Amino acid sequence: MPQSTAALIPPFLRPVSRVAIRRVTSYQADIAAVLSETLREFDLPIRDKTVLLKPNLVGFDPLGMMNTHPSVIAATREALLRLGAAVVLIGDGPALERDTQAVLESIRMREFTGPLARIFVDLNVDDVERVSLQTRASRLKELYLPRTVRGADYVVSLAKLKTHHWAGVTLSLKNMFGIVPGGCYGWPKNILHWAGIDRAILDINAAVRPDLAIVDGIVGMEGNGPIQGMSKAGGALIVGDDPVAVDATCARLMELLPEKIKHIARAATLLGHIRPEKIQQIGESIESTRVPFAVIDAFRHLRGTVGSTGLEA
Amino acid sequence: MHVMFGFARRETSPALPLEGRESHEDENKAFVERVCLPFLLSSQNEDGGWGFRSETRSRVEASAWALLALRHWNFPTSLTEPISRGLRFLEAAQLPDGSWPASAESREGCWVTSLACWALLGVEEFSKSAGHGLSWLCADQPGESRLWFRLLRRLQGGRRVSSQKDFYYGWSWTSGTASWVEPTSFAVIVLASAVANLLPEAARRSRFAEAMLYDRMCEGGGWNCGNPMVYGVPGEPQVSTTAWALLALRRHAERPENQRSVQWLEQAWPKVPSPTSLALAHLALNASGRGSADLGTALRKALNDSEMPWNVPTAAWATLALCGSRNWLPSGPKQ
Repeated sequence: MPQSTAALIPPFLRPVSRVAIRRVTSYQADIAAVLSETLREFDLPIRDKTVLLKPNLVGFDPLGMMNTHPSVIAATREALLRLGAAVVLIGDGPALERDTQAVLESIRMREFTGPLARIFVDLNVDDVERVSLQTRASRLKELYLPRTVRGADYVVSLAKLKTHHWAGVTLSLKNMFGIVPGGCYGWPKNILHWAGIDRAILDINAAVRPDLAIVDGIVGMEGNGPIQGMSKAGGALIVGDDPVAVDATCARLMELLPEKIKHIARAATLLGHIRPEKIQQIGESIESTRVPFAVIDAFRHLRGTVGSTGLEA
Repeated sequence: MHVMFGFARRETSPALPLEGRESHEDENKAFVERVCLPFLLSSQNEDGGWGFRSETRSRVEASAWALLALRHWNFPTSLTEPISRGLRFLEAAQLPDGSWPASAESREGCWVTSLACWALLGVEEFSKSAGHGLSWLCADQPGESRLWFRLLRRLQGGRRVSSQKDFYYGWSWTSGTASWVEPTSFAVIVLASAVANLLPEAARRSRFAEAMLYDRMCEGGGWNCGNPMVYGVPGEPQVSTTAWALLALRRHAERPENQRSVQWLEQAWPKVPSPTSLALAHLALNASGRGSADLGTALRKALNDSEMPWNVPTAAWATLALCGSRNWLPSGPKQ
């Protein structure tokens, strides 16, 4: 069972989080080796466990800039198996497209991961369990969540580095929208928008807090994301055991102020760290990997300036 | 009031040329009998329902699609035992207000109500249950039909990212949220069986919903899940939603919007060779009189080659598509 109530800890009681930035500029690189080396530093409790990878599969994406790249998905799976996981499943419930198989074929997933029949779960049509929400940040009191998610010992949010038309950015926290099943809520999962996107993100992550967050920032999306934006080379993989800290780091890497991104700031009250002094950086520094991502006008206020001490409001 | 509902009479697709039609139809039917029907029958659960996949818990949506496929295949013969058990599962899953929930644990009705009503249509024993469901459907209003929501939208003015006409609305996926193409299409299709003197509200709601669907069509034809403008810029149509919208609007087949959308679908399906999209494209093109032997062949190949486990709705849609007829779509009410 993934962390839930135990994960709701105010920042002053939470130990320092760790986030690694690894420079990777191409999907042809040996990503499995990079991730294996990085994940060893986190001493993950996954031996003989069932791990669920939750990539960001949004829609048809022949150009490879909208979804988590299949090479990153396959490499993560391989790295976790090398580290002793018994089973590593891949599961997602695309929000805008009911034909999940067509989405998988559009990104040629099988060519990277091998046969999908036994390792991929369409979370939109999985069996579900009723889960009472503990945070009640949004109007939602309960959600029906997939059994595969609830039954996994360890959940990895495997997001893409993107800006987002409604939420500012979509990273490892927003990526968890995809565990909400279309088979219960439709395509798209409009109930989450009506409940308030920023608040619903907190509720979902409090119900199923990812144990590990990996963001595919090798190529991301800027501007009018998550599907209408422009491809943007980020040249990095961002990895951490705290999804809030990972998202805050990603935002800083994009030259955006995480404190002004509502869902990250809200999640920082209970789910992880947002303050730089509470995040131990491993690998590359933010300064050396920073790439400014364009945002739509509605999110211009997220843009920070690079001062002598880092990103400033 | 004694409410009766009917399906259209059995008819075969008129678009296929006579030459070669029989062999294609034979191949399609053989495939259904050899592959699709055994899958559906073996996937039925003890409680009479179907899950989305084999060996998963029964859900209303999957059960409704399986029943439509099995009932259609048996038409007009009497109900078989699996069908009777399935219909009883649906009846038992109905909520006291007449709606159906998406999952057994939920007590809130949603879009699957249209599908459950559809599956029960025409069976005298369940006509009361279907009528109750259709009444719920007529009363179910999406969130954007509310006055406060319209007011808010008007105040938003230039900040809006879509140009849709707010006075048209259809049906939402879940109660109190916005109208979307697919649930609206399901409701329009099933309410075609209950218009005029039986449920006058159905006719009014269907007219509004049809107007909404045309308003939400993408400029070059076809539909995506909700709006031609996605995040403020023109979005791409999708095969599955285009198929459902065309089926809902099939009585307006001569309208240029329908014809543009059919053309879009004909060009789109070869690029999306997955069983689900091919089955839905086949259903919509059959109903538009543009059935294609190539599409049937592609669908059979996709199902045969599929490495992913089959899911029940796709198998049901494939069964309906490969039958090549349209009598699975509800017709007007019997007086």
